[in-house]
Amino acid sequence: MIPLSYYLMGAIALYIVGMYCLAVKRNMIRLVIGIEILINAAHLNFIAFSAYRSPSFIDPLGHSIVIMSIAFAGCVTAVALTIVTYAYKHYGTLDVRKLRRLKW
Amino acid sequence: MRMNRNRVVGVTAIVLAILIISMLVVSHEFPILNSAETVKMETTEFLWTYRLIDLIAQAFVLFAAAACCVAILRAGEKE
Amino acid sequence: MFTKPLNTLLILMVTMPVMGWVTYKKKYRKIRGLYAVLGLSVTAYFLYELYVEVSEKGNLRFSSLPFGACLEIDMLGVFMALVYVMIGLLAAAYSMKYMERDTGLTEYYTLLLGMVAGMMGVTFAGDFFTLFVFWELMSLTSYALVAFRKERWAPIEAGFKYLIMSAAGGATILLAMSFLYGMTGTLNFADIATGLSGVVSTEWLYVTLTLIIVGFGVKAAIVPFHTWLPDAHPEAPAPISALLSGALVPTGAYALIRVLLLVFGSIQSVWQMTLLVFAVLTMFVGNLMALLQDDIKRLLAFSTIAQMGYILFGFSLASQQGLTGSLFHIMNHAIMKSLLFLCAGAFVHQVGTRDLRKLEGIRRTMPVTSLLLAIGAVAIAAIPPLNGFWSEWMIVLAGIEAEMLPFSALMIINILLSVAYYLRLIYVIVLKEPTPVSKKATAAPLSMLIPIIILAALCIIIGIYPGPFVALAQQAAKATLGL
Repeated sequence: MIPLSYYLMGAIALYIVGMYCLAVKRNMIRLVIGIEILINAAHLNFIAFSAYRSPSFIDPLGHSIVIMSIAFAGCVTAVALTIVTYAYKHYGTLDVRKLRRLKW
Repeated sequence: MRMNRNRVVGVTAIVLAILIISMLVVSHEFPILNSAETVKMETTEFLWTYRLIDLIAQAFVLFAAAACCVAILRAGEKE
Repeated sequence: MFTKPLNTLLILMVTMPVMGWVTYKKKYRKIRGLYAVLGLSVTAYFLYELYVEVSEKGNLRFSSLPFGACLEIDMLGVFMALVYVMIGLLAAAYSMKYMERDTGLTEYYTLLLGMVAGMMGVTFAGDFFTLFVFWELMSLTSYALVAFRKERWAPIEAGFKYLIMSAAGGATILLAMSFLYGMTGTLNFADIATGLSGVVSTEWLYVTLTLIIVGFGVKAAIVPFHTWLPDAHPEAPAPISALLSGALVPTGAYALIRVLLLVFGSIQSVWQMTLLVFAVLTMFVGNLMALLQDDIKRLLAFSTIAQMGYILFGFSLASQQGLTGSLFHIMNHAIMKSLLFLCAGAFVHQVGTRDLRKLEGIRRTMPVTSLLLAIGAVAIAAIPPLNGFWSEWMIVLAGIEAEMLPFSALMIINILLSVAYYLRLIYVIVLKEPTPVSKKATAAPLSMLIPIIILAALCIIIGIYPGPFVALAQQAAKATLGL
């Protein structure tokens, strides 16, 4: 089997990619996708740990948590996209750098 | 609906295709591999016995998410 | 299923749309608000029963099986739930009149009940994933409530920024949870504590600690992650601002201290120092930024950040005295900050502006509301004999007792800084000459004033006779430390 640290590195790389996406990207929908990437990093971690905790036995706790957490990610995306719809109606653009009227 | 030759040929071909494929599907027995089904049942049983509180709370979260979307997408001022 | 108060709130949340459908005619619309208020009162009664049961029998535990999801209710959970239900009840009663002119009130009350249910579930959770489930319930409903008045651009912008930051915080919590699951194989708080108790601290434990502080700190308004707060609080409707400041932000602090105390016992000195530095930074940034504000609700939002700094300072000492002071301050801050936000909401409802320069001298036309605002500002500026003084003094004393003298001195400097802008608030509202805008105001309606009067009365009562409330906070602190 592949050593566990490769999966951990993959999860942390996904987390860093997600944070980079939130910090740098300008399109609002890309920010929502960035949040999905962050959540999926944690999912990968759960699945990797549930496989590697003991040899030849897969712990079902990790899988059940991921099943429920995917539903939460979907809920957050739904509410986020509704707010993006209204933001587009008010501002006329999907550029998050234009949402700067609330300053100071 | 205008009847021209292309339309008649197309509809006949599609109906024939559906009949042939359904006869094939019914005649070949689908192999439900037993191990896959027990894995699925075990996960479901695990969720049901060990994570019952979380499952019920998640149902409420899904309801609340639907209520959020309705609240933001509501019709707005009419008067 | 769950405990009685939580059951009641969840069933109310689900049946509120039915109630909204039944009362579609205009003259029956008030029944929706009344339903929410009555439901919250019934919940408060069940919570009192639960408190009696917990103080007799010790910690309650509702779980299907030993390794499954569970709700573990101790005095700390009951204490925090008591604060949330009280503030929720008063906010719902206030919003019966305040949100009259808005559409979509059915969804509003549904989401309000959902938010209080989520917060109560966070405080009752005994398993990390159960905490996360209720955390998401609380967060989702608050995203929609901040962006509730979607016709204007400002709530939408504030709601979007809040959503992105808070969802990123939630994902960070999930990642930290996965590391803890990997280390111990379970997500139950008690089992994680026993699993990690013998372990020599590895680097992964420090990584998990960082992720926990960042994840919960986004909600608890710790300073580098606080930037959603000054935008979200002014743009939310006033009762929701009161609930956000008084209940949602302290929930982040509660979850932080619960997880840190239970899970990270082996590296306690490390997280105490870290949290102490963050607390002092939060206090300073909150107070200094509040001195510069002209918008009344934005000033109160920065003041919330500073008060969370005080609460985190008390939590970071992790002694019984420090925890008692912080928990008592959470209760006091909820009362005082809700009082201030509801008064500010009354001004906005009558006059239509939040600008302090236009609200000068509004005491002439709205005397009762100005008096209540003055009581709230005096209380939160830690002037004796009102209730803010007792709790902040307890935190300072705990700091001195734990031999953190320079940090206690910094906290006293911060309290003095905060007195400056609270007194400025009173000066502007009460003592200046009225502007043309404030002359046009009329007195606030009585049904909006009743919750504010109850809160002001509580401020005075707790200030003059803090004994039973401090005893309650002390019971909660003892339960947290496992004594």
